[in-house]
Amino acid sequence: MGEPRSDTRFDVVVIGGGPAGMGAALTAHAHGCRVAIVERDAHLGGILRQCIHPGFGLALFKEELTGPEYAQRLINRVKVTDIVVLCGSMVTSIDREACASSTEQHDSSHEKGEPRPTHLVRLISEHGAVTLSTKSVVLAMGCRERTRSEIKIPGSRPAGVFTAGLAQRYLNVENQLPGHRAVILGSGDIGLIMARRCRLEGMEVEGVYEIMPYANGLNRNIRNCLDDFGIPLHLSTTVTKIIGTRRLEAVEVTRVDEHLQPIPGTERRISCDTLLLSVGLVPENELSTAAGVELDPRTRGAKVDQHLMTTVPGIFSCGNVLHVHDLADNAESEAERAGTQAAYWARSESHSIDNPSTETTAQEGDRDAVDDIVLEPEGLAGYVVPNRITCRDERVKVFFRVKRPVENAVLRVRMGGVVIFEGKPRAYKPSIMEGATLTPAMLMKAGTTLTVGIDEVEES
Amino acid sequence: MERYDIAIVGAGITGCAIARQLSRYDISLCVLESGNDVALGASKANGGLVHAGYDPAPHTVKATVNARGCELYGTWSRELGFTFHRTGSLVVGFTSDDRERVMALYRNGIANGVDKLPAAPGHAEELRFRIIDDAEDLHELEPRVSDRATCGLWCAATGVVDPFEVAIAAAENAAANGVGFLMGTRVRSIHQANRGFEIETDTGSVGARYLINAAGSGCADISRMAGGEELELDWRQGNIVILDKEPRPLLPLYPVPTPVSKGVIVAGTVHGNTVITATARLREPGDDDTYAQDVEELLEGARRLVPDLDTKRVVRPFAGGRAVIKGMNDFLICRSRLQPRLFQAAGMQSPGVASAPAVAERMERLLREAGIELRERASWNPIRKAPVDFDLAEPEEQDRLIADDPAWGRIFCRCETVPEAEVVAAIRRVPGARSVEGVKRRCRAGMGRCQGGFCQSRVVAVLARELGCNPSEVPLEDVGSPLLYGTVKGDARDSIAHREQGADFHG
Repeated sequence: MGEPRSDTRFDVVVIGGGPAGMGAALTAHAHGCRVAIVERDAHLGGILRQCIHPGFGLALFKEELTGPEYAQRLINRVKVTDIVVLCGSMVTSIDREACASSTEQHDSSHEKGEPRPTHLVRLISEHGAVTLSTKSVVLAMGCRERTRSEIKIPGSRPAGVFTAGLAQRYLNVENQLPGHRAVILGSGDIGLIMARRCRLEGMEVEGVYEIMPYANGLNRNIRNCLDDFGIPLHLSTTVTKIIGTRRLEAVEVTRVDEHLQPIPGTERRISCDTLLLSVGLVPENELSTAAGVELDPRTRGAKVDQHLMTTVPGIFSCGNVLHVHDLADNAESEAERAGTQAAYWARSESHSIDNPSTETTAQEGDRDAVDDIVLEPEGLAGYVVPNRITCRDERVKVFFRVKRPVENAVLRVRMGGVVIFEGKPRAYKPSIMEGATLTPAMLMKAGTTLTVGIDEVEES
Repeated sequence: MERYDIAIVGAGITGCAIARQLSRYDISLCVLESGNDVALGASKANGGLVHAGYDPAPHTVKATVNARGCELYGTWSRELGFTFHRTGSLVVGFTSDDRERVMALYRNGIANGVDKLPAAPGHAEELRFRIIDDAEDLHELEPRVSDRATCGLWCAATGVVDPFEVAIAAAENAAANGVGFLMGTRVRSIHQANRGFEIETDTGSVGARYLINAAGSGCADISRMAGGEELELDWRQGNIVILDKEPRPLLPLYPVPTPVSKGVIVAGTVHGNTVITATARLREPGDDDTYAQDVEELLEGARRLVPDLDTKRVVRPFAGGRAVIKGMNDFLICRSRLQPRLFQAAGMQSPGVASAPAVAERMERLLREAGIELRERASWNPIRKAPVDFDLAEPEEQDRLIADDPAWGRIFCRCETVPEAEVVAAIRRVPGARSVEGVKRRCRAGMGRCQGGFCQSRVVAVLARELGCNPSEVPLEDVGSPLLYGTVKGDARDSIAHREQGADFHG
């Protein structure tokens, strides 16, 4: 391959044009980078395009917007920049450009003085295949829905079993009615919102079933989407059989015990022609792993450092492809951090960048060859992002989620089993992503491992 | 009434293979299929293994057609342009009892001529069928096989295919050579006339001088209607699991078989996924449900053979049944003794996929033996060109395709990288896809880990556009399996089929 054309050369290429992707692109652009957004759909906006319900933007825009309105605000911001937007474009691979100047192995080419690798992002669109070259890549591909197959619901395989997001697309974007009488499995936010949506479009919603003994969605969604519409929520109950030869005819629901195992004798047959599944989201990282990015098995997102850089130097990750967020606003503020760091990484080599904050940058972070700190979740904390910290003289915001609701628990940061920070007792819920800040004082004390744990405590 | 020399009932892999075999000759031929696509029964619900033939008892019909079918797959795949990987396989034993049964399998295999079958590339001819007693040798063949394995049977002839691709390829080649495929045509009754049959179907009458019964689960009904043998069927049902892709597809690994089944087999598919196949239980006829206990049995069985297999990466569990003839652990491939114009290809079960080309060959011989003249047509073309698989094309070829038609650059299915143009081709081929699942089987849109979450609505729109119908008339699978029930608001013209580009979101 010859020298890439100048119009395919970028500082930062963002993969995914949803809220995270646009957020990262706008921030990188604000830092003076030449930026491209690659989006597989024909339009920017990502999944927000089909989320026509309100409730977006409270944190970021301080007003309540629908998904498309929220997306449009970001689209408008992108439009007035010279960010290159490539829609209808599917990235097929991210490769590192072969080092032409040297035959030496650059095992850790991000060490001081080494040239930063160039990434080649290959994409397919109706204009043909194009390869973009860039110093930084931001992964912002979002997530996909878990399917009926992944949770292995037994029974037949008729039409009428949809992931909630697909049904949402049919209803809200395609103007197509997916059924008449629905059962919803899973009390995640998409399931709750779709319960209301189906009801508003004249479908009957028999009920929402949740295998866990608690609801998985945000409280406000339970109130606004179920309670206000008289749709019952059945906890500790799951769908154990799908019935129907061609179109769904019924589902069998069964109560489960404390080990989530169906309790024989509690089966109930419910006639319905539609089953919507809201049973979890999976970060869509097939492209990332093919590029050599290591994943955290807990989040199924990339392993990242405090700058949201993955295990491949110059590739960053943010939004739902990193870990599943509850709110688009959170995904976007994470994206702004990724965009900033991607910009620093891209521009640091040949330009003197104006570093506006006292925060250390991805570039400066590698200056001191101190051992990285590995972060691990502990106790009720199901995961923690980031997975490693490469410098100790900056404040690091960490994010985590609890595995189950707990009334009274404390956050404890431990080093080699010794508690170096303990928070105040309070309640934690799996539906809410939590944040905590590690200070340089804590990091200086740390060895090579820190744990972030949530421990249940007695009511005091 | 349309009249044919021969009517084949059933467009499963067996019926399609027979149709393709006979399409070579100067006779008029049709295939009657009750479903809206080929391979809707057992042919789509199996592990896609081309077993070599060391398993069936010697001198059974199965034993003969299995080994011969396995041999023919090389030629068939080249001519018909379907993917066939002759990978070889291992039967894996753990105990001294297993060692004895491996020995018995080996003797079976020698009796069935398995040692003379073609070998997987890169494997020595003289070692192509042998017992292995060295754990290291086992690991050399498949590094991921369990450390607890002590012995095995290596067979270099075993292969893997996509079973519906085989049926589709055979049907397309048959159709290109003039065979009529009458889809959605269920046989209601058969009148036995002097010079043949008058077949009443859902869509009208069809006349045929001879009838070939390849009706799968309907084989007993067809035999009875045509005046043939009374067949009593059992429904042997199997669950199967497909796991996500591995960096390197696994060698087909078999446990030591039980008297009724080959046991839980683990194999890399032609697309790099892992298939775990199959449980075997007698269930109510027509039952193609998956069962929690079966799926668990499969995952456990697979982990026993390949302990490091990540069985959480399930892409799809599915199931299907084989209509086996009661009390007869064999295929019924013969001229009917009661109705000399009826030919049976009934009781098809495992190894039905592996045997299909040889069953077709055998059917040709039976017809000749019955005095039916089969003269080769000069125009016969044995070659079927496979549709372009964009994902596998070289970059230059991809560029050329997109330059030719931008639909090649519109990627519908991100899991399997399937562009719109492949979906269109799947619908336009003959016989073509008429359902979302039919599209999936032809070009893999929706076959991947997200199971159509992203591409399904796009595939529905293209089906509606190509078939000139509303999205609500597009079935998931067979007729009567609608996905959608019309527009939510406004009139039907607002539907996705008629709204190519959608509103410009940039406004």
